[in-house]
This record gives sequence, structure tokens and C-alpha cells, in this order.
Amino acid sequence: MMPFEESFAFDPERFPDLKSWLVRNGADVFFSSPGFSGETRCFAGLDPIKELVVDESTSREQLKEFAFSGFGPCFGYMSYTYGMMLRGIRTDKKSFFPLGHLKKYALLLRYDASTDVVRISGLDAGQVSLLVKIVSELPLQPKPIPFPDLGQPQVSMNKFAYEAGVSETLERIRQGWTYQLNLSTRMYWPCMPLDPSEIFLGLHTAFGAPFYAYVSSGRYRILSTSPELFLRVREGEVLSRPIKGTLAVPGDPVTSVAEVDEKLLYELTESDKECAELSMIVDLMRNDISINCAYGSVRVENHKSVFVVDNLLQMYADVRGMLRQDRDCLDLFLDAFPGGSITGCPKKSSMRIIDELEPHSREVFCGSMLIIENERCMDSSIAIRTAVADTVCGDLYYWAGSGIVIDSQPDREYRETMSKAGKFLGVAAK
Amino acid sequence: MRILLIDNNDSFTRNLEHLLVNAIPESGVDVLPYALLPVRFDETDLIVISPGPGAPLDYPGYERVIDSGVPVLGVCLGMQIINAHLGGTISRLPDCVHGKTDIISFLGRTMTVARYHSLYCSSIGAGLEILAANKANVPMILGHKTKPIMGFQFHPESFLTCDGVFFIHDALRRILRV
Repeated sequence: MMPFEESFAFDPERFPDLKSWLVRNGADVFFSSPGFSGETRCFAGLDPIKELVVDESTSREQLKEFAFSGFGPCFGYMSYTYGMMLRGIRTDKKSFFPLGHLKKYALLLRYDASTDVVRISGLDAGQVSLLVKIVSELPLQPKPIPFPDLGQPQVSMNKFAYEAGVSETLERIRQGWTYQLNLSTRMYWPCMPLDPSEIFLGLHTAFGAPFYAYVSSGRYRILSTSPELFLRVREGEVLSRPIKGTLAVPGDPVTSVAEVDEKLLYELTESDKECAELSMIVDLMRNDISINCAYGSVRVENHKSVFVVDNLLQMYADVRGMLRQDRDCLDLFLDAFPGGSITGCPKKSSMRIIDELEPHSREVFCGSMLIIENERCMDSSIAIRTAVADTVCGDLYYWAGSGIVIDSQPDREYRETMSKAGKFLGVAAK
Repeated sequence: MRILLIDNNDSFTRNLEHLLVNAIPESGVDVLPYALLPVRFDETDLIVISPGPGAPLDYPGYERVIDSGVPVLGVCLGMQIINAHLGGTISRLPDCVHGKTDIISFLGRTMTVARYHSLYCSSIGAGLEILAANKANVPMILGHKTKPIMGFQFHPESFLTCDGVFFIHDALRRILRV
């Protein structure tokens, strides 16, 4: 890690102030919310000293050189558009967004919610001491402004178009070109007079999720409120946790499975359609990590587990393996990217159809947010429930989608897609 | 044993690779994309044709694999490619099945197998016989009466299939006589 480091106990009650101070002071942050398994690692990077803006010519070797040399960790994102390039999917759509962006920082803050310890590290002892002083004497911060009413967005696929897209997807399934496909729509609010950091803080305060991230990339800010782990590597142990199968919880908002009626859980975990959706992506993720995992190490655990996020029941499974000794976490990431849960299966064929059916570019949506510590240690989320704000013109983008399988009904899939956009549309998903 | 696994742009091919290595400890598996389909197979003991999207017609060139005399195992689309080459027909399933299990009887055992297919072998090619079918008579395992050729419509490599190794071992007995 870094040459200078100090750690100290931190009152968890003060975390909202710490988070507000970091985001308002331009840090790139990766946060979890209490109650989620990803919560133990909160990272913030301040004062970027090295950046790699990914373009079409960026090679795997350049990515590795950037991520693995010098002091780490490195934070950033890779866009779905970059994933299309990796998988050889050509598109005619113009992309407005960088293909990816990785950064290294002079100063890092790490908060471990399981031990309530803050660790500050950096390249300069004076800078570290100063941040320690600021954080330990942090005054009360103004509360995030309440989430504003954004009004009705312009959508790339309205109800009619989305349902037509689902019907066409069903025909492609019957033809055998895809077994499952994730179809999305894009929402666009032009010229919003909003501060994206306040929107992000407002979302984090109101809606818990395990993989929040706020990252600056040139004129853009990425506001990710993702519930989904893509690939985690610890000392070579690989974990992927694909989410498939969604059921909205009716009535009052709930925050944990314990509060949910068992009958409703049963409705999800015993649904042939939802289980098939998950099983397919589990097989696909086994395949995608097998490219770089040792023979005999790849296995499935906790199949058909359920958690609650955004007032939705979400089903998931754990796919685990052991990274081969001669491979690193970027080999794993780049060979498995973009995540199968947001492409469909088989991946390449589904991605081609997605590009054909969706009128918009996905950009960072369905890409990944990344924390790379070293060759065998990495965290990445699937950038769903993710918005992009353009700080120059005030434009705000959000995307939402749903997995289509042969048993899908167009109107139900549209409703599921809208329920995933609920927090941005200002209607708490009911 | 050298195994050549031809990948028809599928997302399950690596599962098949790991299953083969797991089932056949002394084996080495080379995975080649369909676009690089070789012309000769001198060093190969077994060719496995992977699952994949689309239909056999979308994958020309497999005649040199199936007619090579090298033992051939096809999975899902791979089995359909074998069947189509030998004159059988491929049709749409009335109710296509993806990511679900089915039950078949095979060698006196009742087995749970994973199905991912929109198409099926609606008539069987010359020399082929149905070794197992499901309740609706959809062919699930095909074998050739005289040549070392075999196919699985279901996915032995899926985690939903109960004993994938069992099916690979049976294929080895049948087409490699080991």
C-alpha cells in the first residue's frame, strides 16, 4: 500500500458526516450501506496523481501496467461499450462517454464498518496527518438535500417500444439465437440544475445498497447505487454473485428478508421462470470464471438465495473458483466482462441482439465499477441502478432493464424495469 | 488423451472443458473457436462440438469433423449439427426450454439433466439411434450404430445436471471404447 498510514477508531454515527464531507470535497468513493454483506469496505480516493482514460487503443498490458505498478490501489470503471469491444461486437452508435477510466491517488481513506476503524494512507506524511486531523475533528455537515422531483424523463424506449422489444426478443429465443437477454431503456433529463454530489448523497441516505460508488470522469459524474457484485478476488479466491429473479414487495417498504412474508419468498424461489433466469446466468458465470480458474475449483453455493434492495426481492447465487497461479484479476475481469447477468446468454449472440434492439448506448450502465488492490485482490460491481450526470450542461441519464426469458410477458417485464427506476422517478417502488 | 473442443461462440464451452478434464484425468483439452475450425485432426483423440446459438445451417464446415473418423461428441447444437449432417431434420420445439431440468432414463438410471434448447432433432439421421428421450419423445442422447459418433441434447456440463461425469464416461466407453 502507501508509504504513510495512520488508523484510528471512528464513531459509526458520524459516518454520514464523513461521507458527505468526502463526496462534497471531490473524492471518488465506494460505499456500502449498513445491512449489506459488502459493507465492510468503504474506500475514498483523494487527489488523483495518475489517470488512465481508456480508449479503443488501450491494451490489456497497459491496463495491467497501470493497475499493478507503483502504489495502489486503483479505482475506476469500465463501460459496457468497452465490453462490446472486448467481445468483438461492432456498433454504429456514437458513444459520448469514455470507454473506461482508472485512477491512482496521493491520499486514500478506508473505513471498515465491521471494526469501526478509519485508515488513512498516502504518499506524503503531511497530507496524511492533515486528513487525519480533518476527519477526527470533522464538524457536523449539512444534511443532503432531499431527493428532488426530476419530472418525467425522455425515454429511449417507451412502454410501447419496450414491449415490442420484448416480443422481438421472444422470437429470437424461439429461433435459438439467445436463451435469455437483458433489455434496457434509457431515461434522460436534459439541463437539470442539480448538483450530482447532492443527488448521490440523497440516494445513499434514502436507499440502502451494497455497492454505491461516486466517481468523477472528466465532465461526467457516475452515481452508482448498484446492488450487484460482479467479481471479487481475495488472495486468488474468486467470488461472483449474479442476481436474477426479481419480485416487488407490495405495501410498506422493507429492508430485510426477515420482514418479508414467507409466501412471497416462496413465490420467487419456486417460480420456474425466475429460477431458470438465475440458473442460466449461474452456468454462464461458471463458464466465464472457468477461463482463468483452476480445474476442479469452480463451484456454485447458496443457489436461489434472496436479499432485499430497493424494496425488491432479488434472487442470487454464489459462483466461486480459484484463480490460476499464472493469471491475475485483470485477466479474470477482462475475459468475463461485461457481466453475464446484464447481457444474457450466450453472451456474444445476446450482445449483438441487444445492440440491434436498443436504440441507445449503454455507456457505463452495465459496465463495472472497480477497485483493484493488486494482481490477486479486486472488487467490482455491475453498474446497474446507475446514473451519469454531465456537469457542463446538466444532463442526467439513467438506465433500467430486465432479463427476458421464454416465459416473459412484455407488460410484466416493462413493469419490472420501471420498478428498478423507481428511486429516480421519485416514486418509491411499490 | 488430446481433446479438441470447438467453441460455437457459446457461453458454456469452458464448463464443458472443465467437465472433460475432471472426467478424464489424463486429458488435455484445446479450445478452438468455430472460426478456426481445423482441416485435419491428426493429433486428436476426441473432438467435442460445443453448444451454441442458432441452428446447424449457421455453422457450415462440420462435415470434415464428422467424416474425419476421429471420435466425435456433440452437445446441444453440437448434436444437432451431427444429426443434420447425417440427413436428420432440426425443428423448433413447441415449448422451448432454457435453464430447466428434465428427467431421463439411461442405462437403468433415472437422471436429472439440464436443458437449454429452442430446436430439436425432429427426425434422426442415417445410422443414428435414439439412446434416450424425454417423456415428450424429444431425443436426448443419440449414438451412431457403427461409427464413433454420439450426441447429448441436454447439457452434461451444467450445474443443474446431477452427474455430468457419468455421461462423459459413457461417451468414452461408446465412442473411444475405453
